[in-house]
Amino acid sequence: MRVILESKVRKKPNIPIEAEAIIPRNFLKGTDLLVYEGNKERTLSELFWIFVEGTAVSPENIEVVLKGDTSRIKRVGEYMDTGSILISGDIGMHCGNFMSGGTIEILGNADAWLGREMRGGTILCRGNAGHYCATGYRGEKKGMQGGRVEVFGSAGDFCAEYLAGGEVHVHGSVGDFPGVEMRGGQLIIDGDATRPCANMKDGTCVILGRVHEMIPTFEKVERRVIPEWNITADVYRGDIANRGKGTLMVKTAGSE
Amino acid sequence: MIINDVVCPFCGCLCDDLELEVEGDRILRVQNGCSLSEATFMNDTRLPAPIRRTASGWEEIPYADAIKETADILRDSDRPLLYGWSSTHGETQSVGVHIAERIGAVIDNTSTVCHGPSILAIQEVGHPGCTLGQVKNRADVIIYWGCNPIEAHPRHMSRYTTFATGFFVPDAQRERTIIVVDTRRNDSGGIADEFVQIEPGGDYAVLSALRAIVRGKESIIPKKVAGIAKEQLIRIAGICTNAKFGAIFFGLGLTMSRGKYKNVRNAIELTDELNRHTKFVISPMRGHGNVYGSNEVFTWMTGYPFAVDFARGIAFYNPGETTAVDILRRGECDAALIVASDPGAHFPRAAAEHLAKIPTVLIDPHVNATTALSRIQIPCTAAGIDAAGTAYRMDGVPIRLRKVIDRGYPDDAEILKKIYDRLNGELGP
Repeated sequence: MRVILESKVRKKPNIPIEAEAIIPRNFLKGTDLLVYEGNKERTLSELFWIFVEGTAVSPENIEVVLKGDTSRIKRVGEYMDTGSILISGDIGMHCGNFMSGGTIEILGNADAWLGREMRGGTILCRGNAGHYCATGYRGEKKGMQGGRVEVFGSAGDFCAEYLAGGEVHVHGSVGDFPGVEMRGGQLIIDGDATRPCANMKDGTCVILGRVHEMIPTFEKVERRVIPEWNITADVYRGDIANRGKGTLMVKTAGSE
Repeated sequence: MIINDVVCPFCGCLCDDLELEVEGDRILRVQNGCSLSEATFMNDTRLPAPIRRTASGWEEIPYADAIKETADILRDSDRPLLYGWSSTHGETQSVGVHIAERIGAVIDNTSTVCHGPSILAIQEVGHPGCTLGQVKNRADVIIYWGCNPIEAHPRHMSRYTTFATGFFVPDAQRERTIIVVDTRRNDSGGIADEFVQIEPGGDYAVLSALRAIVRGKESIIPKKVAGIAKEQLIRIAGICTNAKFGAIFFGLGLTMSRGKYKNVRNAIELTDELNRHTKFVISPMRGHGNVYGSNEVFTWMTGYPFAVDFARGIAFYNPGETTAVDILRRGECDAALIVASDPGAHFPRAAAEHLAKIPTVLIDPHVNATTALSRIQIPCTAAGIDAAGTAYRMDGVPIRLRKVIDRGYPDDAEILKKIYDRLNGELGP
């Protein structure tokens, strides 16, 4: 079954919509769902043109497609456990919060907190991701715990903060403090990074681009060939300030 | 008439030993106060009556009309923002939170542009702090990091640190070691025993390096970290570990420079590490008189210290998403109520621009830069001058602000209560 939601033109287009109801499972029982626009409760049909194609008996066969201006819609795919969501443009904050299964594909850019506290499933972002991509909530000790987030563009600051499990792969560059407070999982950055893995406890981070402002409390262990990436890399342990046992691998210039 | 033990409402120190000479509704003289305090009491020029913007300028309107119009603006809004709260007393702040909950607004206070990152860091790793009295009587090592108390909190050094005689530090000036860390040699740096000049944005790296040195891992630290020689870092770590009682005070140089709450977190974790050797505490140098109070009031009422979003009826908190600057920058809110603060002067341009586009109401005793962005301004009392109420000092100690004169203005809590009652009547139970 395919549910196509096309956003209607709104009088105040900047007011955020909170739409945690948009997950595939909820469309099994129909499209009579509630979302919030600012402090007002709205039905899904007040904000979207809804088209349903085919039928489904189980949620894993449901695909939700979001079209139109979706850049201010928050919490799409929150607590999603199965099925798929395709977003043809940009998406607002908190897309894929606490997601445990299924797939979200974003063809445009994603705003902040993409895949916050994710437990499983896959998020593919074809554009750029905002700050706090694949992280946790404020004060939470564990961020993303499982699943996979792949960003084909660049990501903002604090990418994979408190990463505790799963894999985050950014094909472009990241901002300040990627992998800060990391305690598990794997973070791969194809481009450049600033102050990576500060205060990390555990986990692995691989940076194939340039590192700006290396944190001074990382201990260089060795330079070796990393077969799975086919590169020569400097391998660091840290963060020493934190008694951390994490691994940070930075590709040496010119090695392939 | 001379009034003793007056509390100065200006900065987070809330000095409570002022002596004021008053006559009728005028303050004639301020004794014991710093220059900031004197200006607060003496240069207190008020807006005489509520004003409303017209096509060509401003017109004076009665209080009742201003209150009604404000309530109408808030009631019709889909995403109202209530901001400010730091230069008034707790009683006003609590009415503000009630209004926010009633109308599904976002309520935020000035921490959002000052020590909000400190709160985020405290939520991650806790706060090893103490009252200023403890520091005064015990601390023999004082670190001022990214702040300039001589200019911003002029009596901090004389009441609590450098020049204050303490029970266990009888000869304060000789017994206390003062370390100042800043990007430039400011006035406070001039009287420091050890001045540490740090490259802008290098705080995080320096704090990490100090933590590693305190742990005995100095061998991995490079020769220079953010412009500071390794020898100086080792010397500072030595001063800290050999202290009887150390206190770190930090300002916006740490919270609002690159890295923000991670800088503060690193400073707290350095304090934590130092506590394996000796007693060490850390405290923010809070700016506005009652900004700590706004955090206290918001927390006991909503569970969160600032940036609370009631849009869904329950309190949601996520700085970066529900903070005033971010909401304004993204053009989200469609009405704003500003109380006892001046975002027009302190917010980034894009945020201030949005305030001018939407109906903004300012409740503040003085004409300030936000007046120029507002539709309506309602003058009220100034807490600590012509209104009494509770304020919290920078170390979390509540102090009762006193009313020293009466200038005939209504209390801001009263104005807000009237707005709240009107909204309550119109919106139903």
